[in-house]
Amino acid sequence: MSDSNIIQVRDLSVEFRTDDGQVKAVKNISFDIPRGKTVGLVGESGSGKSVSSLAIMRLIPNPPGKVTSGQILLNGKDLLKVSESEMRDIRGNKISMIFQEPMTSLNPVFTVGDQISETLILHQKLSKSQALAKSLDLLRQVGIPNPDERIKSYPHEMSGGQRQRVMIAMAIACEPDLLIADEPTTALDVTIQKQILDLLADLQKKYHMSMLFITHDLGVIADIADEVVVMYRGDIVEKGKSDDIFTRPQHPYTKGLLACRPSLDKNPRRLPVVSDFMTNEGQERTLNAEVLKQQKQSRGVSENQPVLLEIQNVKKHFPLKKGILGGVQSWVKAVDDVTLSVRKGRTLGLVGESGCGKTTLGRTILRLVEPTGGKILYNGTDVTGLDREQMRAMRRKMQIIFQDPYASLNPRMTVGAALMEPMIIHDLGSGREERQEMAGDLMKRVGLDRAMLNRYPHEFSGGQRQRICIARALAVKPEFIICDESVSALDVSIQAQILNLLLDLQEEMHLTYVFISHDLAVVKFISDEVAVMYNGKVVEMNDAVGIYENPQHDYTKKLLSAIPKGMPKHLL
Amino acid sequence: MAIVAAAPKGRSLWSDAIKRLRGEKIAVITFVIILLYLLLALLCALGVAFPNYAVINNASPYLPPNSEHWFGTDIFGRDVLARAAHGTITSLIVGFFGAALAVVIGTTLGAIAGYFGSRIDDLIVWFYTTIDTIPYILLVVAFSFVVGPGLSTLCVAIGLTGWVSHCRLVRSEFMKHRERDYVQGAKALGAGHARRIFIHILPNVFHLVLINFSLGFVGAVKAEVILSYLGLGVKPGTPSWGMMISDAKLELARGAWWGLAGATVLMFFLVLAFTLFNDALRDALDPKLKGR
Repeated sequence: MSDSNIIQVRDLSVEFRTDDGQVKAVKNISFDIPRGKTVGLVGESGSGKSVSSLAIMRLIPNPPGKVTSGQILLNGKDLLKVSESEMRDIRGNKISMIFQEPMTSLNPVFTVGDQISETLILHQKLSKSQALAKSLDLLRQVGIPNPDERIKSYPHEMSGGQRQRVMIAMAIACEPDLLIADEPTTALDVTIQKQILDLLADLQKKYHMSMLFITHDLGVIADIADEVVVMYRGDIVEKGKSDDIFTRPQHPYTKGLLACRPSLDKNPRRLPVVSDFMTNEGQERTLNAEVLKQQKQSRGVSENQPVLLEIQNVKKHFPLKKGILGGVQSWVKAVDDVTLSVRKGRTLGLVGESGCGKTTLGRTILRLVEPTGGKILYNGTDVTGLDREQMRAMRRKMQIIFQDPYASLNPRMTVGAALMEPMIIHDLGSGREERQEMAGDLMKRVGLDRAMLNRYPHEFSGGQRQRICIARALAVKPEFIICDESVSALDVSIQAQILNLLLDLQEEMHLTYVFISHDLAVVKFISDEVAVMYNGKVVEMNDAVGIYENPQHDYTKKLLSAIPKGMPKHLL
Repeated sequence: MAIVAAAPKGRSLWSDAIKRLRGEKIAVITFVIILLYLLLALLCALGVAFPNYAVINNASPYLPPNSEHWFGTDIFGRDVLARAAHGTITSLIVGFFGAALAVVIGTTLGAIAGYFGSRIDDLIVWFYTTIDTIPYILLVVAFSFVVGPGLSTLCVAIGLTGWVSHCRLVRSEFMKHRERDYVQGAKALGAGHARRIFIHILPNVFHLVLINFSLGFVGAVKAEVILSYLGLGVKPGTPSWGMMISDAKLELARGAWWGLAGATVLMFFLVLAFTLFNDALRDALDPKLKGR
């Protein structure tokens, strides 16, 4: 029935022309978006979910992209056939969209009031003053504090969460029939994510609009989606009512996606991954139930365990404002008097929201940024007092794995060269052949093929690149690794693989980790102890289970309640 | 070991760029034109092509274009085409060495300023801002008075005055890249300054160096023409397009337009080919345009 569906997608195919020939991004997919309901479109990067939504907006860049077949019916009218001017009228008016990156989707040179008004003036033919009045009302609706003042703010004066609220205000300004939300919370902290999800659900009910919510993480949409469409490699592998998908998933890929997210109430030894459920060809695999049932044995943190790293009153202050004579008048206290210790062979989780100083602390430990004060004792040696040569030797023992696997490898260097570089610097292995052999071993160790050594980073996927980064950190045979949001940029399905890999490596090579993340569920899964950071200070520290069962600080409680449960509320 | 050796070669960004360049008709055509100019200059220099460029024939001054002299002859009865062809040598030498010098100075100073920052950066920025305030013709005049005119003076003068914009660009790129995770990662692995500058950052900004060299080349060819026209260029007698245009300005009044035409036509195609090749090069090397 076309009456009950606002959008009907029929046999849609989209192809892209690339250097390697035509690539089918979306293959003959069909799905409906019912009026007044939320549809979750789930899949990993490259599954074709964003391409499908762009096709609905008719925003696929051509060239290289092209819709090769199919229909997209909006209230029975084929959007692929309407004129460009008609389409302009539909965009922002009947269908509107919010994007993943709130930092770049607002124009930095206009006030937020101007930007919301623009849509209203364009589509609803309001006068400037009417539009501004309505913008004010919209800002109030999306929960911006002091909307009377904030309407004159520029985007850079707002936080990420606030900008995403402004984007939502713009999107709902014309009361669209359909709102497409493309990973709107992926770039945000968990606490902000929850607020935005609640806001979207409220607005959807209030305006009785339909919503297409795109995400790589099934857990995120558990509470807000009425129906779920699961995409894998350009195909729809499963679709159905949300409750059915979450309680009785049929396709092995869906099962894998549901299982791979670390959750707060389970304590598995390792995370299930999609490949536990499905072969590479998409066939169901009989579960190795034993592996999945293994529970993590708490390794415990006792006083007797030797301390590897001790951080004493470490401070890192950045100058904010300089006086006329160059004297610093005010400081940002990114890390403010932090004292911590990490025991040998254990993992310390460092959790907190963006801007709380956790990344700065991680980099200060390695002296990638110089501390303003305090001591960093590694095996009893104060790292802050080392000269250049001593520090270089120290770097063999301490390594770091960054967040963004796309940015942390030199794009002009083969993977082999990247892996051999640390060996050359620290004079490990004799000669090129031995180093090449060692690099090959490292590749194998992180689950990649030796034969890929001659390739360049852009020839790998995000998950593979993160494996390479891990291999590079391992090249110097370190004792201690800082994982700085090392899985945050990855899809949940890949995240599980990397977390398992890190655990295996720790066991095998007796590594000590500091694991930095904004996601308490991930931190709880991998850590023995957890420290919660807030405004540059450690506000709470306990063992991983203790923090979850008995949180003391308000901020910890807030963090815990914000984590998606991975299951619709009424089914819990 | 055998496995590694037998591993398939990866596609580097450079090989991607070359593949893209080869797919562009304009890039291929302009590149062939540039090669033809190189060949012409080489043959002239070896005395194979147009060996009679300096032969004075007082019997036949100002011959209009004919089957024997395609671009006519000049006041001394010398073949204009032969002189223009030999002018290619001057232009290519000045273009190459002028641009190369500018790019080397600009890259070195820009890299140091951008990478190290703070005081060193302040000093270099002050230095190039100062240089930039002096009109370059003035600088070249001063320079050729001190050293004396000639081909090498011209190259050095153009190189010493043309590096500022390139330096600015490289400096900003280095500032951007030094904070990137892959450079921080190298630092965490114990890589020293030299390794970070030369092995990590430089290859990632080298495409800009290349594009700028190509732009600088065109600039230097044009500068040579202008300076020679003003009498600040090569020594009198050396065949050069600028000299030819300078000489032709008087001959124009007599209706002898071919002297001007010979130099201009050759210069026109070289500059056009380089400019178009530059565009194609930029498209091919800019990763942001990849997959377009």
